[in-house]
Amino acid sequence: MSTLLEMSGVSVSFDGFKAINNLSFQISEPELRAVIGPNGAGKTTFMDIVTGKTRPDTGQIIFGEKNISLIGMSESDISCAGIGRKFQKPTVFEAQFVRDNLGMALRNPRSPFDVLFFRGSADNTLRIEEIASQVGLTEQLSRTSGELSHGQKQWLEIGMLLAQDPRLLLVDEPAAGMTPAEREKTTDILVEAAKTRSVVVVEHDMEFVRRLDCKVTVLNEGSVLAEGTLDHVTQIPEVIDVYLGR
Amino acid sequence: MERTFIARNPSILWFLLGLGLFTLVVTILSEATGNGAISTSFVKTLGKTLMLCLVAIAMDVVWGYCGILSLGHFAFFGIGGYAVGMWLMYARTKEIVVENLSNAVIPATEAEINGAIGVQIFGVVGSSEFPWIWAFADSLFLQLLAVVLVPGLLALVFGWLAFRSRVTGVYLSILTQAMTLALSLYLFQNDSGLRGNNGLSGLQNIPGIGDFNQAQISIGFFWASAFTLGAGYFLFAWVLDGKMGSVIKAIRDDESRVRFLGYHVESYKLFVFTLTAMVAGIAGALYYPQAGIINPAEIAPIASIYLAVWVAIGGRGRLYGAVLGAAFVSLLSSWFTGGGAPDINLGFYIIQWTDWWLVLLGLSFVIVTLFFPCGIGSLFDKLVRRQQ
Repeated sequence: MSTLLEMSGVSVSFDGFKAINNLSFQISEPELRAVIGPNGAGKTTFMDIVTGKTRPDTGQIIFGEKNISLIGMSESDISCAGIGRKFQKPTVFEAQFVRDNLGMALRNPRSPFDVLFFRGSADNTLRIEEIASQVGLTEQLSRTSGELSHGQKQWLEIGMLLAQDPRLLLVDEPAAGMTPAEREKTTDILVEAAKTRSVVVVEHDMEFVRRLDCKVTVLNEGSVLAEGTLDHVTQIPEVIDVYLGR
Repeated sequence: MERTFIARNPSILWFLLGLGLFTLVVTILSEATGNGAISTSFVKTLGKTLMLCLVAIAMDVVWGYCGILSLGHFAFFGIGGYAVGMWLMYARTKEIVVENLSNAVIPATEAEINGAIGVQIFGVVGSSEFPWIWAFADSLFLQLLAVVLVPGLLALVFGWLAFRSRVTGVYLSILTQAMTLALSLYLFQNDSGLRGNNGLSGLQNIPGIGDFNQAQISIGFFWASAFTLGAGYFLFAWVLDGKMGSVIKAIRDDESRVRFLGYHVESYKLFVFTLTAMVAGIAGALYYPQAGIINPAEIAPIASIYLAVWVAIGGRGRLYGAVLGAAFVSLLSSWFTGGGAPDINLGFYIIQWTDWWLVLLGLSFVIVTLFFPCGIGSLFDKLVRRQQ
C-alpha cells in the first residue's frame, strides 16, 4: 500500500469564509475511505479542490508515484491523470443513449482530433458491454439515458466512472434517493472497486457508511476532526458534539 | 458500430437526393439550360438561399449542437463575401481599364494601369491608393484562401480568448455580438480600405470567363451552391456522427461534467466555433457573387440575429431543421418584402407587408419558441417516428 493522494495544509476561503482550513488528508492505493461531517463541513469543497474545480489559496496536493502537483491543473487534465468524480445529483447526458454515455467515459485519447476520427472498435463495444453488465444496465444500453429511473442513472454514472478507470474515485453521496436493495448493490460495487483503486465516499447516511466497513474521516469546519474506524470515531466526544449529537 | 456512416444517418441520403432533384428541376426550368420558366433573377435568389441554408447549418452546429449562441456567424459569412469580392472587383476593373487603355497611342505602363484601377475602385471614397488589405486582390487563389482563413483565424483568436475565460451563455452571445458590431462599424468607415458603406459592387460580373451571359453564370453558381451545400451537410453530419457528436452535445447539456470526464471543453468549443466560421465564410463567398453587392450593413448584428431566428424556427439540433428554417423564412421574407404578398385592406387601415413582415416574423419567432421549441424540423421527426 502506497500513498496515492496527499493533501497538506490546504486552505480556501470564499469571501472571507474559510471553507477549508489547513486540511491535510492522505489516501493509499488501494483503499476505501468514507468522509463524513455535518453540513458545511467542507466535504464538497474538498472534492472540488481535488478535481480542480476550486483552486486552493494555500497548500499542496500531490498525486501518484511521480508526485504530480494537482494545483493549477485543469479539470480535464486532472481527470486524465486518473481522478474520477461522481456528483451528488446523478449527472448523465440525458439526451443520449446509455451506450454513448459509457462510450464517452471509456479510457481513450481525449483530444478533439483523436475523437473526431474515432469510429469505434470491437474492443470498445466489448468494454462498454462489460461495464454495463457490471452495473446492471445491459438491457438499457440502447435506451436514452433520460428514460432511466433515478437509481439506474446513479448506476450509469458509477458505470461511467468505472469506464474512466481512474486510480482515485471520489463519490459524493452515492446512496441518495436509492431503495434499500439499490443501496446494497451500490455498496457491493464500491467495495469491489476499492479492491484495485482508491475510493473516497462522502456520505451522510451512517448506516451506509457502516456497511462500507472502512476507515472514516470526520470533517468539521474545513479540517479533519477525527480519523479511524467508525466505531472509534463515534466514541470521540467532539464528533458526537458536532455531528452525531444533533 | 457495425453499420456504415450513411446507414446510421439516413437523413443524409434523403437530403442529398432532395437537393439533387431540386437542382435538376431548377436547371430544366432555368433560362440558360431549360425552358426559361424560372427567371435568372429567381435562379440567383434560389442559389443565394442555398448558401443561407449552409450558414444556417453552421449556426445549428455551433448553437443547436454545441450550445454556443453565436451572434457572429453572419460576420464570418460577410468576411467570406468580402474576400472573394475583392478579387472579383479588382480583376473586373482591370479588364475594363486594360481594354480602355489599349487604344492609347503609347502603351500604358503597369503603374498607370494600377493607378487607373485604384481610381476606379476607390474614387467613391476619395482615394486612389490601394490599401494594404488589397495586397493579394490580384490573386484569385490567395483571395479564395482568405475566404476560409480569415474567418477561421478570427474565430480561433476570438474563441480562444472567450472560451479560455470560461465566458458562457448570454455573456458569450453579447461578446460575439460586440465583435460583429465592431467589425461592421469598422467597415462603414471610408478609410477601412473596403470602400466604406458603398461596399463592393458589380460582383455578378465574373472576369476572365469570356462571353457567358448572366443566365449561364447564374446557373453555374446555382450548381456550385448546391454542391457546396451538399458537401457541407455531409461534412457536418460526419463530424456529428459518433463520439465527436456525443461530446459536442454533452458540452451543450452539461459542460462541467464533460470536464470531469477528462475532455478539454475549451478545445472542443474552439474546434466547433472555428470550423463553422470557416464554412460560413465559404457560404458567403458563394452568396455575394449571386447578390452582386456586399456592404457593411450585411454584417450588422441584426443579420446574425436573423440567422439564429431561422435556426430556431427550423428546429435546433437537427441539420435539416436549419436548412428548412433558412429556406422557408428567407424565401417567405423576400416574398413579403418584395411586394409578392397582397396588401390586406382592413377598411380603416391597409396592412402593407413590406412594413409588417418583421412584426409577423417576430410573432412567429415568439410562437415557435413558446409552443414548438423543436421548430419545423420536429414535424419530420414525428413523421419518421410514426413510420417506425
